[in-house]
Amino acid sequence: MTATHTTTEPTAAPEPFAHPALFYRGEEEYLDGTVPFVREGIKAGDPVAVAVPEPRLALLRQHLGGDADSVHFVDMTEAGRNPGRIIPRVLRAFADARTDTHVRIIGEPIWPGRSGVEYPACVQHEALINLAFQGRDLTILCPYDAERLASDVLADAYATHPVVVSGGIRQPSPSYAPGQVVAEYNRPFPAAPASAEPQGFGSEELPVVRHFAVALAAQLGLSGIRLDDLALTVAELTTNSVVHGGGTGTLRVWAEDSQLVCEVRDRGHLSDPLAGRRPATRDQRGGRGLLLVHTVTDLVRVHTDPAGTAVRCYFGIGSN
Amino acid sequence: MNASAPVASGSALHLRPLPDRAGWRAVGEITSATCPAWERTLEQLPLHQEFGCRLEMSAVTFVDVAGVSALAVTAQLLPPGRHIRVERPPATLPRLLEMFWPDLPAIEVVAR
Repeated sequence: MTATHTTTEPTAAPEPFAHPALFYRGEEEYLDGTVPFVREGIKAGDPVAVAVPEPRLALLRQHLGGDADSVHFVDMTEAGRNPGRIIPRVLRAFADARTDTHVRIIGEPIWPGRSGVEYPACVQHEALINLAFQGRDLTILCPYDAERLASDVLADAYATHPVVVSGGIRQPSPSYAPGQVVAEYNRPFPAAPASAEPQGFGSEELPVVRHFAVALAAQLGLSGIRLDDLALTVAELTTNSVVHGGGTGTLRVWAEDSQLVCEVRDRGHLSDPLAGRRPATRDQRGGRGLLLVHTVTDLVRVHTDPAGTAVRCYFGIGSN
Repeated sequence: MNASAPVASGSALHLRPLPDRAGWRAVGEITSATCPAWERTLEQLPLHQEFGCRLEMSAVTFVDVAGVSALAVTAQLLPPGRHIRVERPPATLPRLLEMFWPDLPAIEVVAR
């Protein structure tokens, strides 16, 4: 596996990619900050996508009136439930199909109600947008509910966005440092429950450890297509450990609140911060493993350093 | 000609030509360990048959994304109008096709 977070800070050279944060306080400021952005884009002929959580999605659709027909709407609570899949499956899925013109996207990946377990992955996602889209002719506007989000969340938004719009005033961020943010949230996990005994594996045990994970997950309440997703996830992560992570690893599975958690640890170092966040081309044979994991899980958390990598994947029990 | 890729701990992939049709029957798991045999079989598919060829997968218990990738890439090399009919694969196969290769007419899946 790979992950030194050696993210390059974007340079101060002229940059076609714009990634402003919009701090809004109440519905009126939300609409004032987003509706003109959409309408200006439509007027200029730009493709426009809006990926925000309900009920903001319905609110924007309502206030855009007939202009809504020209906008691609995405419910971020579904498409972006796992923040790790937003870049490949939401943002690049829209932008890569329209590379001959400027593209506008409203993306709201952080909202009140995101859990403490989700939040580090959300912040890292916001920081990695700057790396993923550097040099692209694209604007991604990220609304933040400044009334209901904690002050440290807003402080992080200053670090992940080069420009912040607050109270209608647009200013360069004084603390923009996306690479530092990715590193800062690369934190060790709390200990797994003692009951979640580690299952060691090497190349010979890959099928065994997958069958073990699926059987235990079924006992813990995972079912149907989610069990298939768990099997695919375990296959990819454990194979990565064998191929890239020192040849062996350990797997743990347990239930936590209403979620099934699957953890894989190995001695590899995940050095590419965008691993699993790049779309694959249709004729590409390999390189879909981590992308698949991000696509089928509800959350992926990663802690990596030169001593090893731990990946925790979360599946909602009882969800489809 | 038959092909097989035994794997430790009871996992294996056995591949043999269909006796009465153009194509192959697969039995076992398609994983990182057995994918080379799977890819060799895909390379041997009679892709230029007028009526396409078949992969009978009712006895395949697991296929990973690399295995589905190999199938999808092979299908994209087919001449126009030709197709691969995949019979009764694990549910993950059509799910992964839809996820990464939507609108790939060269693969026809007959569900379990």
